[in-house]
Amino acid sequence: MRNLRLFIATSFAILYGVSVWGATIPAEARVSRLAKEVQAKGWIVYSARTERGDWDLFLMRPDGSGRHNISNTPAFSELGGRFSPDGKKMLYRRIPSDSKINHDVWGAMGELIVANADGTGATVYGNAGEFAWASWSPDGKQLACLTKAGIEIRDFATKKVLRNFDRKGIYQQLFWSPDGQWLTGTANHFGESWTVVRMNAVTGEVNPVAKFQNCTPDWFPDSKRLIYSSRPANQEEPDGGKLASSMGQRPGYGWTQLWMADGDGSRGSLVYGEDGRHIYGGALSPDGRYVIFSRSPVDGGLGAHDTGAPMALMRIEDAPTIGGESKALRKLFPHTKDGPILPLPEGWEPHWTYAEATGKK
Amino acid sequence: MSRSRSFWLGLALALLAFSCAKRGDSGVDREVTTLGAIEVTAKLVEIPGPFPPNDLYNYGYVLKYKVLAVHRGKLDGDEILVAHYNPLKPRSTAQDEFSGKVGGHLDRFRAGDVHRMALEAPLDNFWMGGVVDKYFQQKGVRYWAVWTNLKTD
Repeated sequence: MRNLRLFIATSFAILYGVSVWGATIPAEARVSRLAKEVQAKGWIVYSARTERGDWDLFLMRPDGSGRHNISNTPAFSELGGRFSPDGKKMLYRRIPSDSKINHDVWGAMGELIVANADGTGATVYGNAGEFAWASWSPDGKQLACLTKAGIEIRDFATKKVLRNFDRKGIYQQLFWSPDGQWLTGTANHFGESWTVVRMNAVTGEVNPVAKFQNCTPDWFPDSKRLIYSSRPANQEEPDGGKLASSMGQRPGYGWTQLWMADGDGSRGSLVYGEDGRHIYGGALSPDGRYVIFSRSPVDGGLGAHDTGAPMALMRIEDAPTIGGESKALRKLFPHTKDGPILPLPEGWEPHWTYAEATGKK
Repeated sequence: MSRSRSFWLGLALALLAFSCAKRGDSGVDREVTTLGAIEVTAKLVEIPGPFPPNDLYNYGYVLKYKVLAVHRGKLDGDEILVAHYNPLKPRSTAQDEFSGKVGGHLDRFRAGDVHRMALEAPLDNFWMGGVVDKYFQQKGVRYWAVWTNLKTD
């Protein structure tokens, strides 16, 4: 009888892609279709633990195929790879392999490295701590960097500071919009830390996009919308906190979800949420149709054992999608589309380019 | 042991006990008098809310002080807003690789206590990270506490 119930539930889940007993059972056909759809759409760079224990940079196709290590540096850990807008280069941070990655301040850790997009030609661009949170300008000729004294716009070739301005409380995750008109970052704003803000790159004016416990923003290609992680306050725990406790988390702490909103903070909406997982590192495809993210069972995004968290990919048109049982979330978002979620290897801080030459050896 | 030796031993122990007994502390030490650009003695007016945990996220928490004495540097007004790094930790263990120089002999923050502090300003020049500021509607300088000692005398 129990097997019959399991069979019926599993069949239903496969057919409709719904969750059963806390585990997402993907609709295999829909997931396969999604994998096929994205397979040839460029490359993903991400950090992952190696068998040696250090972190290296890896490239893979968006469906998880073609995975290969592009840094292979036992003495160092590489983190936070970001392709240049033309997909020909990348920048990332490099720290000694015996240093512990801080999920929060990684963009200011170690040296800034510039390399070709396939990982070759890596050169040290700045000394430890310099060029923190460096972010490419749309034409790849400048970098926006974050310092305590303010935001610096530097010429990429000469490293000279072209202009600087007040950082207005931004303290991490600085990213330049594709149209060059805006910057985004995580900031202290109106008494709340962890507010995702948008800054006018010319006037320096700032407006909040999402207040209270938000981070890891990324731009949609139209520069009008942002995707970010958010851990809303006062999340309901229908199980009285049992799930949280079972994962070593304080009851009432809540789970981090992936959201998107317009640059002026309006039209905030859920992209993906899953009770029992913290969703971080949302990185959009260059056309904004897909997003890749990590699903960490512990907050911080580095996974349960600091080995990276399982990554996943979904279509933006399938938002909102809810994974797992997530009773409270499903109550809040009854119109969840429950689109297919393509499971990907463990990793951290992914970034996406459609440039084809990137991963080809 | 002779009676004389017992007397002197007893006296020494009594003096030692006296010197170790709880007594007033001016909060003065080498660090508080040399670090930072400003040195004050100030009374912690209130703690405006519970300190968030800092097991995963580091932050500065802004506290309001009534200034009792300015020992070095200049301040505007007699009420100041001071950000302390990860205030759940004793000052002696608060410093880490991200904080810059932070320390002192204060074990925990209690409203009404008097602190001798070495400060820097403005906050943004010394700490680039999360700040919980319940006084955000109040304009003015936010100071960064470099060294914080409890003053009890």
